[in-house]
Amino acid sequence: MKIKNWIYTTALGAAMCLGATQVSEAQVADGRYFRAAGTPHNPKVQVSWNRYHTNKALLEIMRDMVAKHPNLVKLESIGKSYEGNDIWVLTVTDFKAGKAEDKPAMWIDGNIHSNEIQGTEFTLYTAWYLMEMYGELDFITELLKDKTFYFAPTINPDAHDYFMTGPNTGSSPRSGMMVFDNDGDGEFGEDPMDDLDGDGSITQMIRKSPYGNLIKDPMDPRKLIRVGIDEKGEYEMIGQEGLDRDGDGRVNDDGIGYYDPNRDWGWNWQPDYVQSGALRYPFTVPENRAVMEFIMKHPNIAAAQSYHNYGGMILRGPGAEEDLGTYNATDVRIYDAIAKKGEEFMPGYRYLVVYKDLYSVFGGQLDWFYGGRGIFTYSNELMTSYLYFHENAGRGNQDEQMKVDKYLTFGDAFVDWKEYDHPQFGKVEIGGFKKNFGRLHPGFLLEQDAHRNAAFSILHAYHTPKLSVTEVNEKDLGGGLKEITATIYNERLIPTHSSQDLKYKIERPDYVTISGAKVVAGFTVENEDFNRVTEQKVSPEKLSVANIPGMGTVKVRWIVSGGGNYSITVDSAKGGKTSWKK
Amino acid sequence: MKKIYLSLVAGAGLLFSQASTTLAQGDYPTLSQVNQRLQALSGSGSPAKLTSLTKTEGGKDIWVLKVGRGDMDNKPGIAVVGGVEGFHVLSVELALQFAEKLVKEHSAKLDNTTFYIFPNMSPDAYEQYHAALKYERRGNAAKVDHDRDGQVSEDGYEDLNKDGVITMMRVESPMGDYMPLDKDPRILVKADRSKGQKGSYMIYPESRDKDKDGQFGEDLTEGIAFNKSLTYKFPIFQPLAGDFAASQVETRAMLDYLFDQWNIFSIVTFSPANNLSAPLKYNPADARKRILTSMLDKDVAINSMVSGIYNETITQKAYNQTNQGTDGDFFQWAYFHFGRLSFGTPGWWAPEAKDADGKPLGNPEANFLAWAEQEGMNDVFVPWTAIDHPDLPGQKVEVGGIKPFVMYNPPFSKVAEIAEEHTNFILKLADMQPKLEFHNVKTEKLSNGLTRITADLFNNSPLPTHSQLGERSRWLRKIRVDISKDQKDLVAGEKIQLIRSVGAFEKTTLSWVVRGSGSVDIKAGAAHAGFATLNVKL
Repeated sequence: MKIKNWIYTTALGAAMCLGATQVSEAQVADGRYFRAAGTPHNPKVQVSWNRYHTNKALLEIMRDMVAKHPNLVKLESIGKSYEGNDIWVLTVTDFKAGKAEDKPAMWIDGNIHSNEIQGTEFTLYTAWYLMEMYGELDFITELLKDKTFYFAPTINPDAHDYFMTGPNTGSSPRSGMMVFDNDGDGEFGEDPMDDLDGDGSITQMIRKSPYGNLIKDPMDPRKLIRVGIDEKGEYEMIGQEGLDRDGDGRVNDDGIGYYDPNRDWGWNWQPDYVQSGALRYPFTVPENRAVMEFIMKHPNIAAAQSYHNYGGMILRGPGAEEDLGTYNATDVRIYDAIAKKGEEFMPGYRYLVVYKDLYSVFGGQLDWFYGGRGIFTYSNELMTSYLYFHENAGRGNQDEQMKVDKYLTFGDAFVDWKEYDHPQFGKVEIGGFKKNFGRLHPGFLLEQDAHRNAAFSILHAYHTPKLSVTEVNEKDLGGGLKEITATIYNERLIPTHSSQDLKYKIERPDYVTISGAKVVAGFTVENEDFNRVTEQKVSPEKLSVANIPGMGTVKVRWIVSGGGNYSITVDSAKGGKTSWKK
Repeated sequence: MKKIYLSLVAGAGLLFSQASTTLAQGDYPTLSQVNQRLQALSGSGSPAKLTSLTKTEGGKDIWVLKVGRGDMDNKPGIAVVGGVEGFHVLSVELALQFAEKLVKEHSAKLDNTTFYIFPNMSPDAYEQYHAALKYERRGNAAKVDHDRDGQVSEDGYEDLNKDGVITMMRVESPMGDYMPLDKDPRILVKADRSKGQKGSYMIYPESRDKDKDGQFGEDLTEGIAFNKSLTYKFPIFQPLAGDFAASQVETRAMLDYLFDQWNIFSIVTFSPANNLSAPLKYNPADARKRILTSMLDKDVAINSMVSGIYNETITQKAYNQTNQGTDGDFFQWAYFHFGRLSFGTPGWWAPEAKDADGKPLGNPEANFLAWAEQEGMNDVFVPWTAIDHPDLPGQKVEVGGIKPFVMYNPPFSKVAEIAEEHTNFILKLADMQPKLEFHNVKTEKLSNGLTRITADLFNNSPLPTHSQLGERSRWLRKIRVDISKDQKDLVAGEKIQLIRSVGAFEKTTLSWVVRGSGSVDIKAGAAHAGFATLNVKL
């Protein structure tokens, strides 16, 4: 209510000052921009959400955010990458309404896989949206007063830029920039990808051959068609654009990697022979180690989101079937409630479980966040071909992709076949889809999908715990003794401790403390109607409460002697702090 | 001037005499004595190079001693590891004496093998052996909330009877689940409820319950135990293990070092786990699972063969050797997650002792006490003595039990022989290392300047070049064969070829057809298997 008044007064004041301005800033800004519903129409931080940003541009935007929203944004480096780049984290909250670390928080990161760069944009979009809408929308203003958001647009800065600038396919590199001996010959990175035609994308090589089984589609010569089993073709597929540099008969077989930063996390970690892509031990990857250390230092994080591509999925764990028992019914109910709502407003996205709907993996980030820290975590596979024509043509459907490039991107997504004199294969043709097409959103789809995913995170963050002391009842027991019963209410879906957290006692209990009263005994109340209580014999003034469930209450009781005013405080790592005063 | 010179000589003399007393000392060395011996061993001209990999939370060095000659990183290597458990002070001495004997008496072995000796992986915990308050410590100096109640280390050991050692305490209670052992009532054993046995004592470590949670000594003042925090079967969230595997800097420093040393083919660990007195068991069902929990069958066969050699070399007969690995330990990691041939032994155990009737005692503690008595060791047990326990007012609480360290570490006078035998065992293991050789080399002239070269690459060793599990590991290189001919002169055969493994006393046949004359060099091998070279005249 107060905020509304404030906005109103400011707007009125501005209108009065300018005099000539007849329309409210809330509709037309700067005499130029008319608001499209739901989007900041004259943001303090100007960003075009229809292109991808390099590290340099990202840092400029983030610094601009801090400059324009000093009370809402802080920027810090949480560590260095393998190549010495900073891993930046934006903390977004209303810093005037309580300490960031005292509020329930959400962590959002992108780009753990280097080629999956739209996660970076979506993460930053979410931060931008929140700070620009603060003070404009009550819901967002309230959210930033209650919650803290930690945004790490890229947790893989080295290869974030290398994907853009280096010779890559749409699927490479998956790892960061560390180099290992992928082919087991004792040499490191001696046969990387080769951009033979110098266009920045690694595409395909084909060769004319009377024995080949491919022809070019006469209607669209970009398209290769496999001939019938009893028919003669004109071309053979050689494979990926590149050279055999080390003379072992294989092309591009030892470049950067291989490792998968998403097999590097410390819940049920397994070595490479069990889980391909794992390195030496959990958090071998320095970027992951920096994230882990940040998470360990911020026990207020109760919700997390990581971004991948692609396929249009809202994923939860378990990553591995062997971990099925880790995700129990109590927590799955909460995962389901949030994700099923997300499915409704994210067309083309399906809510899935990693191990059974995708693949079974160990050492994934989302499993550590949940299994190792008890944090409710989703991993979204961004971009789905459904967004092209609102049809389910499936992943990598060549016909559909050709159609997109013909009618929507007008040839910008494809490298036309062009002859090349290859030192090892002779005359070949090089061509195919560019690295920025397929897994990545084309520009015109970026903002829309960023917004929908941001909305999903906002819903998720909204449901982190919100605690209050709702009722305090006193009863005179006679003899100078008084019974005080307090009800602590969590008015959101997520509990202060997930059941995984409770199982392993990952986070400390919540403390409900009374001060200003002489406490004779303290209890948690199991059933108020039938007076079933559990006594805490040691330090009864500071009651340990294992959990405050989502949309639920916990009741505590003290027997105190003497009168006077007292206060009750609730201190929860993931649920924040709240207090009540008589 | 003369005076100074003289005192320098005297000083040197003193140093020397000190060094010799060190050798003849009566007890396990202190950390600074260990450091001195390591420094002495790695002086200039020594084949041993000493490096500090990192410092622990407690500020102690983690040392590695690399001992070798020539192209050290391309000779098969053996890692020898001590101090895997902080209370197992014997293991540090065994690793150290192995290093000393290797350098002084067996340096000829360095022609073929490189050794990596990690004398002490738990220096923070090791210190407790010499501290004012002695107890069997496992954890380093990190601050850890072992019982996960929000308070750090609030319930450590407490020397209730002020005797300078931590033993046990027993509380007389009809609700107790422990009872005295028939054959030696000083020992308490768990009452077997299934046999209707009734307990009379509750038993705890000598400690308090400062946080009044009803548990004693459940949140120790030590940190993370090296031997409980590795990645294989990591016991997440358990006391001394931590929140994720390899969380400690010394663990990562050591593992990083090992991962960078591609030539290590085997690891010998001195720790309580033992697969040398008897090999690990093969379990076909567990060996087929995605997460492997049984050694693979061919590797069990190797383990069995090496175990045989161990039992021939070590005079002490196995007794009560039931520990074949514990969750998160190093010895199992070396095989299951590092793919190397991993051998472990405590080095010593209390031999079998008989009771008055000549019958075995069964219970390991009773056996130990009986053996100690035979040996005339009178200072191994603290008799149960009543104390006033501040947290258990009015209850009969007694402190006592077997003294710390004595069950795992023999009297120091016995160490020389143990070290000698174990040194011999490790040297025998080195003699078995993979050994690649070329045999049956043939050059056949084909017409028009073409020559066919054929050779057998033979592994002249009872060990394969790769453990069966190692074949699956990216952390062991394949056997690589290189021929010095240019690609254009290779009519047939590969310039570089990779071979997964060459079995024990097995061969693989290689052949090329090459163009031209002169001589050709062929090289085959991998760092951990050594290299064979061949020069062929065309």
